[in-house]
Amino acid sequence: MVEHDSSDESVNRRKYLKALTVGAAAGIAGCTGGGGTETESTESGNGNGSGGSTDDTETSGSSSGESWDSQLEVLHGWAGGDGEAAVTALIEAFEEEHPEMDTNFQAVGASANVNLNATILRRLANNNPMSSFANWPGKNLERYSGALMDLEADVWDAEGFKDTMQSRAVELCKFNDKMPAVPIGSHRMNNLFYNTAVFEEAGIDASSLDSVDALLDALETIDQNTDVTPMAQAMVAPWTNLQLWAQILTSQSGVEAYTNFIEGNPDRAAVVEALEALKTINENYITADASSISFTTAGQKVISGKAATIHQGNWVYGMFRADDSFNYKEQWDWIPFPGTEGIYFYHVDSIVAPSNNPSREETIAWQKFVGSKKAQIAFNNPKGSVPLRTDIDPSELTDFLAMTYEDLTDSEAYPPTIAHGLAVTPKTMGACKTAFGDNFMGPFNVEATADALVAAVSE
Amino acid sequence: MATHDNTEHVSDATDEAVGWESKLRYFLNSDFVRSAPYWGIPFVLMSIAVYGGTGYNFAISFTDYEGLGTPDYSTLDLEMYAQALSSDAFIAAAQNNLVLLVGFTTICLVLGLFLAILLDHGIRFSEKFQTVYLLPMSLSFVVTAQLWLWMFNVESGILNLVVTTLGFNPVDWLGNPSIALGAVILALIWQFSGYTMVVYLAGLQSIPDDQFEAARVDGASITRTYLRIIVPQLKEASVSAAVVLMVFALKAFTFLYALVGRYRPPNGTDILATLMVRRAFKFGEWAYSAAIATMLLIMALGVIGPYLYYQYKQGGL
Repeated sequence: MVEHDSSDESVNRRKYLKALTVGAAAGIAGCTGGGGTETESTESGNGNGSGGSTDDTETSGSSSGESWDSQLEVLHGWAGGDGEAAVTALIEAFEEEHPEMDTNFQAVGASANVNLNATILRRLANNNPMSSFANWPGKNLERYSGALMDLEADVWDAEGFKDTMQSRAVELCKFNDKMPAVPIGSHRMNNLFYNTAVFEEAGIDASSLDSVDALLDALETIDQNTDVTPMAQAMVAPWTNLQLWAQILTSQSGVEAYTNFIEGNPDRAAVVEALEALKTINENYITADASSISFTTAGQKVISGKAATIHQGNWVYGMFRADDSFNYKEQWDWIPFPGTEGIYFYHVDSIVAPSNNPSREETIAWQKFVGSKKAQIAFNNPKGSVPLRTDIDPSELTDFLAMTYEDLTDSEAYPPTIAHGLAVTPKTMGACKTAFGDNFMGPFNVEATADALVAAVSE
Repeated sequence: MATHDNTEHVSDATDEAVGWESKLRYFLNSDFVRSAPYWGIPFVLMSIAVYGGTGYNFAISFTDYEGLGTPDYSTLDLEMYAQALSSDAFIAAAQNNLVLLVGFTTICLVLGLFLAILLDHGIRFSEKFQTVYLLPMSLSFVVTAQLWLWMFNVESGILNLVVTTLGFNPVDWLGNPSIALGAVILALIWQFSGYTMVVYLAGLQSIPDDQFEAARVDGASITRTYLRIIVPQLKEASVSAAVVLMVFALKAFTFLYALVGRYRPPNGTDILATLMVRRAFKFGEWAYSAAIATMLLIMALGVIGPYLYYQYKQGGL
């Protein structure tokens, strides 16, 4: 995408044409070269990967002191709202730490990391890696299999992160005997956010909601007693249904049923039962425009009192907080998704380093920073997620995040999220989304969706 | 270019009637070589960027290239094509593509012709109407997609305001898979019918007024005049407009992508282009996507080919 650096002002037509021709020649060389020898591509693994921002100037052990030779290029998808605020805070803190380093942080925008992932995949496939990129760890790394750097010795062991990070996060950052990622923050998935005024009006005691059936009763009560739509749901994409279904499945049939499902031993009866409940919700209790709105619009409906509740990852907290007249414990409140008390449904954002790295030393310094206390606090407060280090003082976090952080360190079970890359490979996740996309966006076909879901994980 | 380097050899060249130097000089001075920088560079760029890309795509589609790494050309087969043709998702996308192609093009042409005839009758403010109709064409797909996303909203969209005012139930434009494709076609027609109108209008205005007068003198009704005399003369305009529209229909990807901001368009509107990009850039299935791309190219050639042949027959090429 943004591969040119706008340093040269006197770009005349001739230079431009020359650059084009050279680029085109390089392109065709890349095309034809691919079929040649495989050794060629592996040999270029050290330093001068084609088109990287650095040339042959490998750093020769000058990691001490502040002398950096290469540019640190980091791609991330936090292009707006709370994500942008968070990554800006992170970058500022980093530049304070390493003022001498030449850095290039690129936000590759658009929703749900679509462009980011496509850009990363394209550049890695073209053997043109960046220093680091933001992505989910866990099974999601399968996407970049064979092109990841091992940070275990240089970052994890050097900084003692294995002792200071949550053990689950450490496990999720391991991939094929390497540790290519450092976690930056965790969102909790099993949430139910609600508008307190609406719950009061409908006469519902949120703390009594302890099962999916109780939730369905409450939604019915809201529907009967108020003019407000009981639940906001965003169905412009299928992932919201997938994650809500995972919550319902866990709530109804327990963490074990969910774990069995993601591990490839699905219990079809449990899958169907959860789909039935989701169908009831989607057919009766959500806003009519669900099919054309995104989760941010859905969140706005809770803020404006048009919808009573919403299930989402706690990134909507970042959104709620941006509205000064909509405050935690006052206008909105939170309960764990009914029937999932004591469980922290696990989501992790991380910074991943590709192999054949164009700026080895800089990348290591950056990844060390990402795991530091300073970085984790700077990033997570604005983001609405919580640090994965176990030694953070909760008072450094906002009230809601401090509460979430305590749950993060002290829950009974931590099932990994299915809709956000941790639990299953990208291919399986895609198949699960397709299961919902094809059969469950209205009309809601329970049997066909169940078949597709079971087939997706059983493959 | 390069004509100033052999001035010393002029005398030598006269000794032998046609020495190799002068041959070279003639050659370098020929129109072919002197014009080379002007057509050569675009030609080279085109061959690399377009035909090179197409060729590489073609080559990949026979491999099993997937994920990161390099394609393996040792075993080439049609497996990816077979896999695509037997997949439900591909068939559904191809069908949607076909519906989009035929439905969108036909309605656009008919509507454009209708508008052009109205404007050709010299109604008041016709230039202004012309601008109004053409305006959507100048907007980017990204803008129109967002605009229509709002208009399609079930609760607050203007379309449903109209529908409910007329006494019908609100329509879930994008959420209902049997309507969604129609909704997308509607939006595309809104954007492109202005273009067909302009093409037809130009055609209509080039027809001499005598023909209308002659028809009127002969007592032909207006409908009859248009059906028998005018419309047949618009064949050229129709064909060229249809080709442009069809090509747009094949690459409606931009609109669908801008509509939802991701590679998976609303249920029931998946076309080959979205399927291809999704498989390639979400899952790294390069070979499979390349096979889809090749078939998409064949479909596009199927549209363009007859047009080029037609032009050739007419002596236009």
